Amino acid sequence: MYEISQDLSLDKKLEILSDAAKYDVACTSSGSDRRGQKGMLGNSCAAGICHSFAADGRCISLLKILMTNHCVYDCKYCKNRRSNDIERATFTPREICTLTTEFYKRNYIEGLFLSSGVINSPDYTMEKMCETLRLLRTEYRFNGYIHIKAIPGASSELINSAGLLADRISINMELPTEESLSLLAPNKSVKNIVTPMNSISTAIASHRLAIGKDARMERAVINDRLSHTIFSGNDRAKNIGTAGSKGIEEAVNSALLSNNVNRGGSFLPADPKDKSLRRPFAPAGQSTQMIIGASEESDYDIMSTAQLLYKGFDLKRVFYSAYIPLNDDSALPSLDTPVPLLREHRLYQADFLLRYYGFGISELLSDDKPNFDTRIDPKCEWALRHLGDFPVEVNKASYDQLIRVPGIGPTSIKRIMSARRYGHVNFMMLKKMGVVLKRAQFFITCDGHMMGNIPIEEQFILNRLTDADRKTSYQIQNPDNSVQMNLFNDFGLSAGSA
Amino acid sequence: MRVFICEHNWEAMLSCIYDAWSSKLGHANIRLTTQEPEQYSLLDEYVTVSFDRGKAESVMDAVNLKISPQVYSEIAYAAMSSEEDALDTIYRVLILGFAYGPNVVKMVGYKDVSRFFDIRRAVGNEVHHFIEFVRFHEIRRSLYVAHIEPKNHIVGALGGHFSDRMPSENWMIIDDVHKEAIVHPKDEDFYFKKLSDDEFTRLLCTEEENDEYTDLWKVFFDSIAISERFNPKLQRNLFPIWKRKHAVEFK
Ligand code: SF4
Repeated sequence: MYEISQDLSLDKKLEILSDAAKYDVACTSSGSDRRGQKGMLGNSCAAGICHSFAADGRCISLLKILMTNHCVYDCKYCKNRRSNDIERATFTPREICTLTTEFYKRNYIEGLFLSSGVINSPDYTMEKMCETLRLLRTEYRFNGYIHIKAIPGASSELINSAGLLADRISINMELPTEESLSLLAPNKSVKNIVTPMNSISTAIASHRLAIGKDARMERAVINDRLSHTIFSGNDRAKNIGTAGSKGIEEAVNSALLSNNVNRGGSFLPADPKDKSLRRPFAPAGQSTQMIIGASEESDYDIMSTAQLLYKGFDLKRVFYSAYIPLNDDSALPSLDTPVPLLREHRLYQADFLLRYYGFGISELLSDDKPNFDTRIDPKCEWALRHLGDFPVEVNKASYDQLIRVPGIGPTSIKRIMSARRYGHVNFMMLKKMGVVLKRAQFFITCDGHMMGNIPIEEQFILNRLTDADRKTSYQIQNPDNSVQMNLFNDFGLSAGSA
Repeated sequence: MRVFICEHNWEAMLSCIYDAWSSKLGHANIRLTTQEPEQYSLLDEYVTVSFDRGKAESVMDAVNLKISPQVYSEIAYAAMSSEEDALDTIYRVLILGFAYGPNVVKMVGYKDVSRFFDIRRAVGNEVHHFIEFVRFHEIRRSLYVAHIEPKNHIVGALGGHFSDRMPSENWMIIDDVHKEAIVHPKDEDFYFKKLSDDEFTRLLCTEEENDEYTDLWKVFFDSIAISERFNPKLQRNLFPIWKRKHAVEFK
């Protein structure tokens, strides 16, 4: 099985193994700031850099490939699962190194995203991946961005050496509850996902402490201004509280309480004499991904797990990937199920609210209201339920109040606060500062006045907000459906958005 | 109205600011620009200013000392703009700066300051755009050449980023519009160069050289897109067609 693919040409391999990697959504090169060095190739820029946009509109920042699409596992939702009869290929470490450095020099990419199917065993696979990264960092002198996927079930030593070679390391949570994980990914378990996650987060924290940083990852500056966020508090075990995700919570708790992994020098690189191997541990942090819509869970389940992982393991990012039916399987939604793009979009918006706006998931959803409204975004939804707190006076309101106004974000708050020191802010200025007035207008006053004559009445505002977003929401769910779009316009159904 | 005209390079612009300032005609009665007017008006008087080291230095010192080094670097950055009113806007901002000090950049209520930031932002966006979308081509072993067609004179602003990114490679970025380039020899500092017509024509065809990694990149570019999420509209919004000219993946 391994040998067959060796005959394939490099471009054929690249075609197969990038095609197989494309469902992994993370492609950002952000989170690491590293200057270049003479004799080496590459640097890293904290904001991340996109180099192109693929036909699906997603940014291309990294050479995203699998090392191999051979796999001994049989995850139901995955194209590479053992039971599928597909063309298989495997890159040699040198092929990966050459592609990465040559693409990099042409400014096609910021670095490498390396994932893999499980070949022989998790340890064997992880070992091969580490070997590739080591070669890339030493002989090929590559100093750009690397994101590596840890293989669930690989030993913590191997995962640790991967973390020392990469900027970001991630393990996919895949599904938000234990039940669906055992149903759809029978070879994986919550434990062999959560345990390495914990070991990685401990390693990141101790490396950060060792170089004089705060143990926890940097968050958006705005979080320091807010009185309460999901990232406040330092005791991770106490911090996670009781979110509603079944099974996962227990596993997270027990992982956190048995914190006996990774002390001191146990994860020093193999050859500390080589300078290019003396690196911080995954400076861009760890991330994970969940598949949306392959299983029954509600948005509340998904976001609760996300919040749990942010709090418990200080994850830098959680990614959400709308399920695309690839396999015909009774355990899965049927092949003609539409890809839940709008739902995915709402989850990203909610994720933003957790990371940048100081919201907790229980403020947004509950057992009685487990799913987001598809018509309006989660922040508008929240605001509509709290109309009593509005309108807020832009010239007096605090950070905590402003951040909760729909249409106002961290950047515009910074501008508002700075402008307030020199005079009064009016609606014209707000517009210039990037405030989205078509949403914000219902919730703010400037020197006591609202922008128009607006009744503070839930149904009225809901209708207006729905109108303002209808076109966008429709396009998100139906990106290529131009015919329907015209129908919308022809019948005047889409309220022209200001 | 007296119009001060100079070439589009920073030293000449500083000299031009000096002459405009010391003309003592009243700020309302003068205008500065780097572009020859399409039509000369009979009511205006035109003065061409060329680079003068002493004048340039005295403006540089005045801005650095009396306003701030930050403001100096902000105006130098904005000066890469090709907007007709860029130099004049810089001049107006400096007038405010000499009156109010370094806080001038926060006074966005003033029309000149807000125009300044529009110009500054457009330049910044274009620099950022090319950091992302410059494509190098290997024309012979280990020599990488890129062509760009920017609106503003920004090729110099790309030097820092790419020197840090590829300190030990030989590379060159050529601005086809303004016929200027930055050149980076391996392990050395990059330098800026105005290209002669001859140099320019010789360098023009580098993108036709065969580079096998261009083909591999196209393979990757096509197979990484998820067909079930096909969204050309979004792709166009993020990467407008008119900006794709040198992006080999679209060829
Ligand atoms: S482990 Fe599961 S998800 Fe990963 S490649 Fe194998 S079958 Fe696919």
